[in-house]
Amino acid sequence: MRIRNTLPYTFLVPTVLLLIVLAFTPLIYAVMVSFTDRTLFEPTSSWVGFENYSKLLGDRRFVSSAWVSLKWEVVTVSATMLLAVGLGVLMFETASRRQRAFFSLVFLVPVLLPRVCAAFVWKFAFHPLYGIITFPYRAITGRPLDVLSDPNSALLAVAFVDVWQWGFFFAVIVLKLLESLPPQPIEAARLDNAKPWEIHFYITLPMLKAPLVSLALVKAIESLRSFDLIYVMTRGGPGIATETLDMYAFSQGFIESGNIAYASAIAVIMLIATIVIFTVIWKRVNR
Amino acid sequence: MTVVKSRLVATTAVFAFALTGATVAFAADKVCTEDLRILSQPWDGLTTTEKFADEFKELSGVGFQIDYLNENDRRAKSRADASTIGRYNVYYIDEANLAQFAAADWIVPITDYYPAEYDFEDFDPGRRTTATFDGKVWFAPITGGGDLMVYRTDLLEAADVKPPETLEELMVAVEKLHDPDNGVYGISLRGGRGSGANVWRWMPYFKGMGGEWFVDGKPAFNNEAGIKATETYLKLFEYSPPGTQTGSWDESTGAFNSGQVALIIESAPLGAMTLDPDVSSVSDKVAFGIPPKPLTGGGYAHGFAVGVKANKTEEAKKCAALWIGWATSKENEERRFEVGQPGELNRTSIFKSKAFAEKFGTELPAALEATAAVTAVNFWQNPKWPELGDRWGIILEELITGQRDDIPAALQELEDFANTLTAG
Repeated sequence: MRIRNTLPYTFLVPTVLLLIVLAFTPLIYAVMVSFTDRTLFEPTSSWVGFENYSKLLGDRRFVSSAWVSLKWEVVTVSATMLLAVGLGVLMFETASRRQRAFFSLVFLVPVLLPRVCAAFVWKFAFHPLYGIITFPYRAITGRPLDVLSDPNSALLAVAFVDVWQWGFFFAVIVLKLLESLPPQPIEAARLDNAKPWEIHFYITLPMLKAPLVSLALVKAIESLRSFDLIYVMTRGGPGIATETLDMYAFSQGFIESGNIAYASAIAVIMLIATIVIFTVIWKRVNR
Repeated sequence: MTVVKSRLVATTAVFAFALTGATVAFAADKVCTEDLRILSQPWDGLTTTEKFADEFKELSGVGFQIDYLNENDRRAKSRADASTIGRYNVYYIDEANLAQFAAADWIVPITDYYPAEYDFEDFDPGRRTTATFDGKVWFAPITGGGDLMVYRTDLLEAADVKPPETLEELMVAVEKLHDPDNGVYGISLRGGRGSGANVWRWMPYFKGMGGEWFVDGKPAFNNEAGIKATETYLKLFEYSPPGTQTGSWDESTGAFNSGQVALIIESAPLGAMTLDPDVSSVSDKVAFGIPPKPLTGGGYAHGFAVGVKANKTEEAKKCAALWIGWATSKENEERRFEVGQPGELNRTSIFKSKAFAEKFGTELPAALEATAAVTAVNFWQNPKWPELGDRWGIILEELITGQRDDIPAALQELEDFANTLTAG
């Protein structure tokens, strides 16, 4: 009995301890550094309290990057889920079993491509003079189309690449989820002459609510880590039009000023915001 | 049989002892004990040098590994590395981050360690000056120079335009040559953010119009010169190809070399690149000149410096300097010259050689010599320059891409930032 009580702890304690060390050491260090004036150029630093945090409130780049991060999350998560559900349902309704297998294989390719490679390929595809994506516009109007230099379209263009990478992969997952549902409710609805969209809107998708929400949250977390994609395609530009919070933190810490205390303050705020927002969403969805 | 065997063993032992002794004596001459790690920007010349890695191994007893990153990433990585773990024995330093690295004691003066046999004095005097901070020379140049104006002779002739000698003539010429409907743009510029990118190309206008970054320790760029330079740069951008508004060296020079641009004012290595048919589709119809007056050429130099953290001992520093000496030696420059990589030549003995004149004719060497007279240090020589320059790079990119249009307000924002920077 005693062995039975202690066995879970025997397995859990070492791994949890390791996790705590790996996850909390940098986290605690970042929080501590954010209260100092530490830079890369001086070996010493002093305690400055909340100075870095108060500076952030008056920093237009911080405000802009927070807004860009929010837009990025909303656009990429919602567009990915729409594409995934739309394509998943389309394959489920129209494709044979063999066709589904073929499309599933093809749709996995974008996500297998390393993100930096995908970013370079698409950056060239969007080139105003040579790009294949901008070619039809050039051919019709005779004018170049520079989407990555336009502050109104740059973020959408990068988001398009993100959705291209993840939307098709998620479509395969949605298809597999639909295939795993019991067939009886769908067959019953078909006998009642329900239209395909009605079947999915009222029956299958509500049945898949929990896994779809999980997928959306996974995508939201993944979207927070899109640094490499944005960095390669726009470097946060034009100006600061596509500069997200993590990019701004990196820029402050390593590219522009070496001010890692300020960068840590940005990272800490990002962490708190992420925890709060995700917790609220999770609780509302599970209510 | 036993006697023969004994003699054989004795002879073998003596031979082995002699061989071991010789090896030790040979190894004692070599200062290196561990393979070197080098952080650099990609240059064709270094790829050529890497092909002769065995030569360095024979010389030093160790190998080396070069990690390549583009300019912005190289700067970020080298700063992060030098200030923390210090993994790299040799850093690639440029004129813009030299003050930062030297002031923070992340590198040592190269002249203290550069092997005498590689003749440091043979480097171009301008590049040696650019590698100097606080009275000491910190890196051995791998590339450098000033600015050249490169133009398409066929397009200028067809439009009856003479090579511009003044800024006014440049504005008129660019407007006349601009014909986007036929795939020709008047000029190519850099719009992408960065102290070494859009700001680098904006500074000749600023300095040429009498601008100064600081006067008596106070920001002095929010004035007539700053405004006029920015207005001129933005005006010229109306004639620059799409893609250059957020592009840098690659996009700007790529547009010229692919035949879409009539005229370009860029860093000197572009001159030889445009003559190379492998990378330039206009190699047979280009000519060179100095930047139109009053533009000042942006004097620059990039090179290799000995890192402090990774080279803890004097021997380690000497080893790193040995690699730098070997990589920047006359022999390696000659190899680069032979395979047609003149952008990475830095020695006066090469520039003044007969072979150089034979390969590039008289026009390019003459233009390179002439541009030295208008070459100047355009940036603020201070450890905080990258921070100030990068901030202006972002604001300038916003102006170029139309996200803001109030130039005095933009300069005021930079001035406020500069005041915070210098106060801190």
